Amino acid sequence: MDTLLDWSLLSSTLRTVAPLLLAALGGALCARVGIFNVALEGMMLTGAFTAILGNYLFGNVLLAILFACVCVGVLALLFGYLSIQLQANAIVVGTAMNFLATGLTAFSLFAIFGVKGQYYDQTMKGLPKWDIPLIKDIPVVGDVLSGHTPLVYLAFVLAAGLQYLMFRTVMGFRLMAVGENITAAKSLGIRVRRYQYGAVLASGILCALAGAQLSLGQVTLFAENMTAGRGFIALVATMLGQSSPLGVTASSLLFGFMDAISIRLQGFSLPTHFTMMLPYVITIVVMLFFKDKSYLRQSGRMDSK
Amino acid sequence: MRRLNWSTYAQALLMPLAAILLGLLVGAIAIWTVGGSVLTTYQEMWKGAFGSFYFTTSTLTRAVPIIFAALGVSLAFRAGFFNLGAEGQMIFGALAAALAALYVPGPGVVKMLAAIVAGMLAGGLWSTLAGWLDTKFRMNLLITTLLLNYIASLFAGYLVAFPLKEKGGSGGAQTAMLDKSVWMPKLFDGMTLHAGFIVAIVIAVLLALFLRYTTKGYEIRMLGSNPLFAAYGGVNRGRLMLMSMMMSGALAGLAGTFEVLGTQYRYIDNMLSTPGYAWSGIMATLLAGSNPIGSVAAAILLAALQTGGMGVERNTEVPLEISSVIQSSLILFVSARITFSFIKRKKARAADGHSA
Repeated sequence: MDTLLDWSLLSSTLRTVAPLLLAALGGALCARVGIFNVALEGMMLTGAFTAILGNYLFGNVLLAILFACVCVGVLALLFGYLSIQLQANAIVVGTAMNFLATGLTAFSLFAIFGVKGQYYDQTMKGLPKWDIPLIKDIPVVGDVLSGHTPLVYLAFVLAAGLQYLMFRTVMGFRLMAVGENITAAKSLGIRVRRYQYGAVLASGILCALAGAQLSLGQVTLFAENMTAGRGFIALVATMLGQSSPLGVTASSLLFGFMDAISIRLQGFSLPTHFTMMLPYVITIVVMLFFKDKSYLRQSGRMDSK
Repeated sequence: MRRLNWSTYAQALLMPLAAILLGLLVGAIAIWTVGGSVLTTYQEMWKGAFGSFYFTTSTLTRAVPIIFAALGVSLAFRAGFFNLGAEGQMIFGALAAALAALYVPGPGVVKMLAAIVAGMLAGGLWSTLAGWLDTKFRMNLLITTLLLNYIASLFAGYLVAFPLKEKGGSGGAQTAMLDKSVWMPKLFDGMTLHAGFIVAIVIAVLLALFLRYTTKGYEIRMLGSNPLFAAYGGVNRGRLMLMSMMMSGALAGLAGTFEVLGTQYRYIDNMLSTPGYAWSGIMATLLAGSNPIGSVAAAILLAALQTGGMGVERNTEVPLEISSVIQSSLILFVSARITFSFIKRKKARAADGHSA
């Protein structure tokens, strides 16, 4: 590893970006229906744990991912019930959910596997790496684009799909109407709660996939608190991407790239603090230009529409 | 009149108590699933938190930064601002306090006072920055405070890993050790509890009196409970926001300051993030419904659960994480309670809950 920048940097960017992107898409969906989902971190962590657990129970990667989706889906529904049905403050509930996830996963790690800190099983099979037929033979592009786990590809496919769903279908417009003005949406006969529950559930499933990529992707292990704040970074990526799937993809790529660069800089024992700080600074700068209308309306500084 | 007061007090107490009981119930189920004895585990938890004078003082020591963070957060909550930036404000407070204690010349008392002022200023200004971004550029406070946490943590991490790193030390990212003359006096010989605890209690009482009996305190409460009414009554939202964010950040800064002066005697990278003091402070505030005195009690409760969990881990088969399970289910139950008061003021709620 002699040079600071080479093509493997892009390849590792794609790898680190996948969990971020998946979770951030979930965040974007929730933001579009007017729910600020701080629980991404906890849902991702639960996803990582239940994916390993599913793999341990069923010995099959696909079933493991399904198991993770179901478990995190239940968690997401609990979040939805408290914040949508009971109208509890979503941030309060989300914060509590994050704590619950940290505690429960570490607790279950001990209860089920009898270990502390991390669980690792050499015989366990992780996610397969896919070589894309024609592309893998192209010199540089092949190294960058080929040989990732299916979830990495799925993340980008989902981003494109959600972009289409949001901005090209009736369902997408209704979804956005709920977040834009809930009263108006209700008066049009849109089943507001159904959309909100749907978005929360979808974000849960996306976070489960993100967690599975973390625990079954590069390595097959679960470590306590292994998400290490990625859920919050995903939340910031949602903000930076203005909750549009393509924007979220771009901002996740930025965060992933900065992360990959920081790891590379560590190899040269250079300070990584500023490269890691950059995405947050950029987000603040971007927020200068994009006004958050709902925020202004609520604090009484804009005429309500 | 008197009876009415009693019933409201009883109600205010009943809800947290019910939440605590439910939290312990969830904990009992968790203990039962790993095959531990519920009774022994809770006994060990009690012993780990309050079992001896030593454990009691350790619990109170842990509670000090949580109390300060909780007071800061509750002040901002009262004014209707969701300040999630306690962590960053704490970090800068701690770093500034350590630097002032290291480099300000003079006798120990001067250094100590300089450190406290520097800690409050650093935390306060960092918090005011978020408030200013809101009033001037209309940026969502919730998100800016969250972002500023990362920036503070990384920047402080850089400073102690490179320019301010201890010369010839153990190699960890930390500043040099403070001179013994600036160490906070201990309250009891051989115990960890330091004078910061007294300061925390005094400030909690002062804050409660400030909110209840002063004009500014009334304006803050009015702004928090009904921003439109406050605007109608001539309250300047911007100025009041800057003021309450400044005070809120200064309190969080004190949390860091007393950790440096009272327990660690230097700034160590991640010394405040790893134990999660800021988030515990936010939980304590939520548990107490932003009441300053209640926040103190809630902070001690959370600290007791945390130190008690360590006792459980030492003496039983049940892991430490049992306390995070109890803490988080407790908050979940409390948040369901918040529901009732929040339904009444859905509009105000939206300001901190629905901003995406």
